[in-house]
Amino acid sequence: MSTTTWFELSAARDTLTPETERDRRRRRILVLCAPFLVLAAVAAFVPLATMIRMSVSADRFANVGFSVSAWRTLATDPLYRRVAVNTLWFAAATSAVSVTLGVAVSHAFAKYSLPFERVLVSVVSFPIALPGIVVAFMVVALLGRQGLVTNAVAFFSGQGPIDLATATTVTGLFVGYVYSLLPRATMVLRGTYAEVNTDAEQAARALGADPLRTFYYVTLPEIRPGIVAASLLTFRTALAIFGTVLVLQGLNVATLQISQVLSVGYESQIAASIGLVYFAFILAVTFVGLRYTEADVIRR
Amino acid sequence: MTTLRTPQSLGKAAITLVTGLVLAVLVVPIAVTFVSSFAQSATGVVPTGFVTAEHWRTALGLTDVGARRGIGSGLWFSVLLATGGMFVNLVVGVPIAYALTRYEFRGREWLNTLAVLPLVPGIILGIAFLRTYPDNAGTAFGLVVGYALLKSPYMVLTVQSAFQSMDLRRLEESARSLGASWPRTFVTVIVPNARGGILAGSIITWTLAAAEFNFTYMVYTRGPRPFSLFLYENISRAPFLQSAAAISIYFCLVVAAILVLQTVGRHGFTTT
Repeated sequence: MSTTTWFELSAARDTLTPETERDRRRRRILVLCAPFLVLAAVAAFVPLATMIRMSVSADRFANVGFSVSAWRTLATDPLYRRVAVNTLWFAAATSAVSVTLGVAVSHAFAKYSLPFERVLVSVVSFPIALPGIVVAFMVVALLGRQGLVTNAVAFFSGQGPIDLATATTVTGLFVGYVYSLLPRATMVLRGTYAEVNTDAEQAARALGADPLRTFYYVTLPEIRPGIVAASLLTFRTALAIFGTVLVLQGLNVATLQISQVLSVGYESQIAASIGLVYFAFILAVTFVGLRYTEADVIRR
Repeated sequence: MTTLRTPQSLGKAAITLVTGLVLAVLVVPIAVTFVSSFAQSATGVVPTGFVTAEHWRTALGLTDVGARRGIGSGLWFSVLLATGGMFVNLVVGVPIAYALTRYEFRGREWLNTLAVLPLVPGIILGIAFLRTYPDNAGTAFGLVVGYALLKSPYMVLTVQSAFQSMDLRRLEESARSLGASWPRTFVTVIVPNARGGILAGSIITWTLAAAEFNFTYMVYTRGPRPFSLFLYENISRAPFLQSAAAISIYFCLVVAAILVLQTVGRHGFTTT
């Protein structure tokens, strides 16, 4: 970030009065990037810097004084270790399930002639547009007390729907996460499947390999970059989910904890420090992930 | 022959079954919600008592049901906010998408990562806004700026994929050799040629901003209530059928968005 800004600034000095084509080009790049950099500064850099200050503020309502008590709480209180563990295993597990199912769905889209394929693709992409709170309602519509699945099971088993409802448990939350993540994974994998070399698959089949071996030895290596990209995308997305957890509860993950420390006692320093750890972690995951995949794949 | 064919059809059957189940889990709740919004009663396995527009009328604020407020002016407020965010994204996203696709320069990879990845979760940006802009975080201005930042990756990605499919250098050089200045080339040749991608990016960022919840929930304090908070209030407090109608308003918006996206050659609600 800082290298980019520095570069833009030093370029600006040379490009105020361009004389060569190279200077003019620099000025163009600067002019094209300037609006974005202004937005990033106003809406991201300055607020994030303020949040660093906020986390070590002595006062809850204003940035005054200096205190590291929020960071100490974060480091020592076992509650936060539990929150961190919850957040990580849940994001990892939901991502793994979503990507696995996404491979199956995009495989079916790419290899089998499904009826109404265009409509089906739109259907799979539909949940990408839904905010987390609406996804939570989708889980309630299936697994809540008045949910379709709950009532169908209740009807056939004779039990009460209230005992059977799982929407507000970890199971319900799991379904909610997968509901958000699976469409994103599928859309990335669909792009990868479009580039798979079908000649190699046909050759493997012609040489006598069964479909499972063909998939494992030929198709899977080809779609591996897509799997990495989809895993990274879903993991990052899972970490940022908030609305779904706010409605369904079920598990105390970091985003829920942030909103709780704010609504109970407005412990803004703790909220800010969780937020910073979170942001730093997402940034680290992204850059580590970028090393293991082509930058081009990640853009999807 | 049967021994050869069995594993193949077995695998195919399994994958088709999984795909069918996945599609069902994705679609059924949407369908149940939409259909329920027209029902009179939701007790029992399936909703009953069709067809009533009562819940829709309440959700849209056409009837006055005591303390339960309809969407009313909040919908228009969110439409304005989403439109504002979309325009900021056009001004910000189209030029940088062009710079990143057309030119090689130092720091390009960093800038690209910054521009195409949503790095700050909405809830965290919300906390940061509250302290940074204490008087403006929850106003129309704060919300538009926040939405613009949160949704800008979708604009940059979509426009970038349009630019990547064009021969930018040749387009630029032909226009320049015919005497057009560089700014004129950009505005009258480059941008119109990428209009499909720009339109798609606008629709996606608009739709996502219209129902943005995490950031809005954090920064909202007073004034007209944005659409997503109306949805939240319904989901957390209103009866099932009432919430179903409120959410169905947003479904209609998404379906409209997908239909327009298909006219510009996109398959579904995605940036690729």
